Amino acid sequence: MTKTTANPSQGSFDPSNPPGLRAQQAKWKLTFVFAAIVLVYMFTSWQTGSSLIDLWFGMPDVWRMVGELFPPNWGYATETWGRLSETIQMAIIATTVAGILCIPISLMASSNIAPNKWVYNITKQIMNILRTIPDLLLAVIFVGIFGIGAFSGIMALIIFSLGILAKLLAETIEAIDKNPLEAIRASGGNTIQVIVYGVIPQILPQYTSFTLYVFEINVRASLVLGFVGAGGIGQLLQRSISFFQYGRAMMIIIIIFVAVVIIEYISGKIREEIL
Amino acid sequence: MIEFKNTSLVYPNGTQGLKDVNIKINEGEFVVIVGLSGAGKSTLIRSVNRMVTPTDGELLVDGEDILSYNGRQLRDLRTKVGMIFQNYNLVKRSTVMKNVIAGRLGHTGTMRSILNLYSNEDKSLAYHNLQRVNISEKVHSRADELSGGQQQRVSIARVLTQQPKVILADEPVASLDPPTSHQVMTYLRKVNKEDKITTLVNLHFIDMAMEYADRIIGMRAGEVVFDGPASTVTEKTFEEIYGRKIREEDMVGGDEDDENNG
Repeated sequence: MTKTTANPSQGSFDPSNPPGLRAQQAKWKLTFVFAAIVLVYMFTSWQTGSSLIDLWFGMPDVWRMVGELFPPNWGYATETWGRLSETIQMAIIATTVAGILCIPISLMASSNIAPNKWVYNITKQIMNILRTIPDLLLAVIFVGIFGIGAFSGIMALIIFSLGILAKLLAETIEAIDKNPLEAIRASGGNTIQVIVYGVIPQILPQYTSFTLYVFEINVRASLVLGFVGAGGIGQLLQRSISFFQYGRAMMIIIIIFVAVVIIEYISGKIREEIL
Repeated sequence: MIEFKNTSLVYPNGTQGLKDVNIKINEGEFVVIVGLSGAGKSTLIRSVNRMVTPTDGELLVDGEDILSYNGRQLRDLRTKVGMIFQNYNLVKRSTVMKNVIAGRLGHTGTMRSILNLYSNEDKSLAYHNLQRVNISEKVHSRADELSGGQQQRVSIARVLTQQPKVILADEPVASLDPPTSHQVMTYLRKVNKEDKITTLVNLHFIDMAMEYADRIIGMRAGEVVFDGPASTVTEKTFEEIYGRKIREEDMVGGDEDDENNG
């Protein structure tokens, strides 16, 4: 039997109209926010002239495209090996160079190792700015400077991966155990000896793992870079698509897919072992 | 010889680490510094190799004021004055041998040390010191595979490989159980006697201080409040140094475990 609760200290309420899960005011607020979000969606859709209906009407074109992609041009596979290995070589060179350069940079960008605040802040800010530049933009810039070809792609990848590696590594360095560094300093070691004997052994596993991870990213990124003429198998893919040779394009996509999966599998296994 | 002359140290946050300290430590002495935590024991010890820098007065090592040292001079001082830490401070992922050879860094050029080009004498010295502290069978183990007592012995071997004239030990047994603590102190004592290395040890266990020290220095609030031969020290002396009654936790005990590892 329900009855009006009579707890004098807490006041009484009507059981047929108990309090909701939120205050009435909060409900209004939520309704308003929800309506505002819907309006933003409607506005953007109207401004860009695109809507979900286009997806429906575009379906026949989707099927046509898929139809043209299949069957892949299997015979074309042998002609792609050169470019595929170029892609992987670009990634290897770029990762190696970035892997070497990132060591001094990340040391300068770690608050516990940097010689002073200026070096730390300046290095850190430069790396922050570098990281905001998309890889594709870097490739466009370097193609403009060095012309079409793998070298521009490698340069773009070096700068791109340097930004990632230096940040990851600097954060690792900032988290190391500082006691051994104190011991090496106390035994008369200079800064370089402190780094080589105290810092490097502590970050080596993470460093290797990050470098392999960046290698994976570079293999994938170098595919896209080919579209702006920065070398590698991406260049082949871009050409096939612009000549409407979809069978070849599909073949390239399959090869890329298999290569990326294999590389990520191997690198993932190695990283698992290290850490 | 180490001499503090009106030495004071004020930390940037205003804490007084040392207050007008005047002591003279002779060559080959085994000095134990006692006091409650925060009394300035660590500050005193760390001043000698300039891990901290006194802000006032003089601090002479071998007749030279070390307070103005920097760069090369400072590294030379630290090569001469070795240090042992409460947490051993080994590089855990490196081998025992690599940790011990790090004691040679002050004597070795940067390039040679980066490329691990150590002379056979250096390597023999390192291995010999591992033998002296009875841990040579672990020469190629990784430091993190060792127990606390073993790691502290490796750190003694490291400091010996440095061939120092002075050893500073900052709470070397505070993280160890009583039997291991006695073992480590025995090694320190042995090295002090055999190699005539002046040794300064921070301890807060009074029974240990009385057992191993030649001379005991008591500190409270940054000041030296007692200085005398260990033979003249009684529990009463400690009560004066600590400014309170002696408790059970101030003793490490002989061989039974206690959890007092602060």
